[in-house]
Amino acid sequence: MIKIENLEKIYRTEEVQTKALNNVSLTVNEGEFVAIMGPSGCGKSTLLNILGLLDEPDGGNFSFAGTEVAKAAERRRAELRKKHIGFVFQSFNLIEELTVFENVELPLIYLGVGAAERKEKVAKVLEKMQIMHRRNHFPQQLSGGQQQRVAVARAVVNSPSLILADEPTGNLDSSNGNEVMELLTELNEAGTTIIMVTHSEHDARYAHRVIRLLDGQVVLEHAHV
Amino acid sequence: MLQHSLLLIYRNFKRFKTTFFINLVGLSVGLAGALTIYLWVHDEWSFDRYHATTGRLFQVLENQRTAEGIDTKYGTAPLLAEALAEEMPEIEYAAVATPTNFFPGFTLVAQEKNVRANAIYASKDFFRIFSYNLLEGDPGQVLASHAAVVLSQEMAAALFGTAANAVGKTLEWQMVDLKQTVLVTGVFGPIPANSTERFDCVLSFEAFKGIMKMGRSMNWADDGPFGTFVVLREGAKESEFRAKIGGLLQRKLSTNKERALLVQPYANKYLFGEYTNGVPSGGRIEYVKLFSAIAVFILAIACINFMNLATAKASRRLKEIGIKKTLGASRFSLVAHFLAESVLMSFLALLIALVLVELLLPQFNAITGKQLALAFQPHLVAAALGLALLTGLLAGSYPAFYLSGLPPVAVLKGRLVGSLADLWTRKGLVVFQFMLSVLFIVCVWVIQRQIAFVQSKDLGYDRRGVVAFEAAGKAAQQPEAFLAELKRLPGVVNATGFWGAFVNTYDGPGGPMEWQGRESTVHHLGVTYDMLETLGITLKEGRSFSPQFRSDSFQIIVNEALVASFGMKNPVGQVLGGQRIVGVAKDFHHQSLHEKVRPFIFRLEPKAVGTVLVRLAPGREQETIGRLRQFYAAFNPGYTLTHRFLDEDYQAQYASERRVGVLAQYFAALAILVSCLGLFGLTAFTAEKRRKEIGIRKVLGASELSIVYLLSSDLTKLVGAAILLALPVSYVVVKQWLDGFEYRIGLEYWYFLGAGLVALAVAWLTIGTQAWKASRTNPTLCLRDE
Repeated sequence: MIKIENLEKIYRTEEVQTKALNNVSLTVNEGEFVAIMGPSGCGKSTLLNILGLLDEPDGGNFSFAGTEVAKAAERRRAELRKKHIGFVFQSFNLIEELTVFENVELPLIYLGVGAAERKEKVAKVLEKMQIMHRRNHFPQQLSGGQQQRVAVARAVVNSPSLILADEPTGNLDSSNGNEVMELLTELNEAGTTIIMVTHSEHDARYAHRVIRLLDGQVVLEHAHV
Repeated sequence: MLQHSLLLIYRNFKRFKTTFFINLVGLSVGLAGALTIYLWVHDEWSFDRYHATTGRLFQVLENQRTAEGIDTKYGTAPLLAEALAEEMPEIEYAAVATPTNFFPGFTLVAQEKNVRANAIYASKDFFRIFSYNLLEGDPGQVLASHAAVVLSQEMAAALFGTAANAVGKTLEWQMVDLKQTVLVTGVFGPIPANSTERFDCVLSFEAFKGIMKMGRSMNWADDGPFGTFVVLREGAKESEFRAKIGGLLQRKLSTNKERALLVQPYANKYLFGEYTNGVPSGGRIEYVKLFSAIAVFILAIACINFMNLATAKASRRLKEIGIKKTLGASRFSLVAHFLAESVLMSFLALLIALVLVELLLPQFNAITGKQLALAFQPHLVAAALGLALLTGLLAGSYPAFYLSGLPPVAVLKGRLVGSLADLWTRKGLVVFQFMLSVLFIVCVWVIQRQIAFVQSKDLGYDRRGVVAFEAAGKAAQQPEAFLAELKRLPGVVNATGFWGAFVNTYDGPGGPMEWQGRESTVHHLGVTYDMLETLGITLKEGRSFSPQFRSDSFQIIVNEALVASFGMKNPVGQVLGGQRIVGVAKDFHHQSLHEKVRPFIFRLEPKAVGTVLVRLAPGREQETIGRLRQFYAAFNPGYTLTHRFLDEDYQAQYASERRVGVLAQYFAALAILVSCLGLFGLTAFTAEKRRKEIGIRKVLGASELSIVYLLSSDLTKLVGAAILLALPVSYVVVKQWLDGFEYRIGLEYWYFLGAGLVALAVAWLTIGTQAWKASRTNPTLCLRDE
């Protein structure tokens, strides 16, 4: 599903150049659950942003579902994002002016899904995430665990083939964190590919495979069994 | 999608209440200003355009070369219209009419009633050419007879009780010592407010020709004060007509006098009425342009607020944008969302603006002397909607394109890439706003000073305490007896009479004169005895007119300007145009201060009195006017006195300047208000953004004053820069305006300095209050978020 070769990303300021990613190559197959780990500043979020088509690499190849996207235009990337990718962030990133229902509805709106179908899909996913009773609340009225469930609901509402999770449990206590990891595992078992950036060895154990980064390079790749 | 956008817009408005209200107030005020100006401009544009012949209707003017250059006159020879109609097949109709301010005022007498009226004489096709809403009578026939009169509905009602049966009745008109019995042949409805010409009745030009004993055919060397109007046939080429009429006098006249006819579309008379050296040089259109520019500026200032606040608070909305981008929102949908937000905002503002306009129109009408109203007219609806849409798009464009173009990762992290350019744009916009405000302040200041100067300038005569009224009936027929008795009334210091208008005489009685080979354009006025004495004009040498000198009726008094223009060494005793100079008066300003004092002659004509001037003893004016009224009624049975003060005539000359002055004040206040709103918003925003910094600084021991300085120094610098940039611009603008006055104030440096200080003070007050508030917050509150 994802194949990257010799990927490079360089951050430049006036004085210094930092190689955030240095010749990174990896492949993620359909249906896999991959965890990316490493210390702060090792480049894992940068990698995730590139994988999520939010950022552009400075060099290397990136094939997404069989097409080369390393140099794709923003319009094309936006198109791929909304069709194929769901995002879950550490800080939830819900829009504060929108209710739970409206937040989850948003990706469907961008996909041009009709109102009736939207209502149905959102209701279904909210039920599944057990947050339906909170559908008319605003994010700030919810607990962290609830907010992250909403974020996951939003990420999966359009049934993406890939979910990118950036420290999904980073802002949660352990019981809420476990709940979210269970959710992700369920999604994975239903066929969704998941790539997750995490600091937590505990969370990483949910993944099939762990990729460890250090200073922008892949230093270790190993499988969990 | 739309519903969703509206929802987000609504919640965003709720979340950023201060910004919302600043934007709403700013845009409403801006739109209200622009709409009011639109109404005014539309009204100005509509002047004289309601005639059905518009597009084919022209007035014939004449260029005359004088010693000072080419003079363009609206007055032409009396028989020109007839001659043109014969000469030029492309002319469908042509008519001649006397100017509306030509005669001192008529009295119409019918069924023992006397009614004062403004009358004109016009030739047969007058009502075919102009659409003056003829209610009774055939447009081609009403002025066919030399004894015809066409009355306004109002006049007909005043004379005959009702306008319906006025046609076919007779009345007598009287003017000074002239009178004639005429037959009512038509009645016209009210003249629209947007008409330059206003009159109560139209008499036949044939009658006027008879009174004046004019010749029967055109002498091409003639000129005169008469208006000549032509309507071209459908399909006639205007350019060909212009070329043909331009060369007409040259072909007809073999004399070496350089004169040429030219035409002006009648619809342009009101706005493009000025000619310099023979070519059109604007006119009232300058004010139309000026106010249109002001409208645009005020709206621009309001839009700038919107842009500034939108980009300033962008960091708080970045997350929303970032999330939407992550979810795959296209740039187009983001741009559309922001534009929808600003357009919705401006439509909301439009509603408030309409209420504001409705509330302010009476006051605006009082200042401008118009009768503007908000009515459901297609042009107004289109203008209001168009204006609101344009404002919304303009205000929203910058934030929309700027914010939607940011890369998603940076946005999500709340990191503003390229914020330097953004900062500069914001700074530039603030500078621009304050530049306009300073410009407005300088303009207001200079206009006020010039008007005060005009009020207080020594005109060379004393206009205060002098009443003017028209002589009618017996007073006009026996002016000498009337004046003699008048002077004996208690409270009357002196009295005199003349023919024409003293203040700002129309360009009729002026023409070239020659003296020892020199030529100059000279204005003259026929007066009775005591003219100089009544008005307090100082005699420089020689003597005034006096009944003791029998021969005075062939003698003249001139002014200093005339002496100077002919270069006379010993003017008294010289003969000019067959008349001997008996006195030289010091220069006085009978024309507005826009004009230089021109060469001027007083002729003694004790028997021709159109207007009477009476100097009243100070302190007893009202009492004396009462006495004048009684005396007038007694001397002149059936007539009542309608007087005005000479000062009013004088003030009327500067009506448009005074209007501009008052309006400039209002608009300057608007501009400053809206600019300050923006500044207020920006300071509030900066204070909020730097909340944590303020908290840390306070914990480390910063004083409140140093925090105020921290928050206000940047914006103060911007306002300072705006002032520096505005000064040269405003200098050029006010200099150009003042150049329109031949007599004007000098431009003092402190007008500019003062304007700058006012702007700075207002800005400081705005920034300072916000900064002070921020500096006093409890630091623990600022830091608690951490």
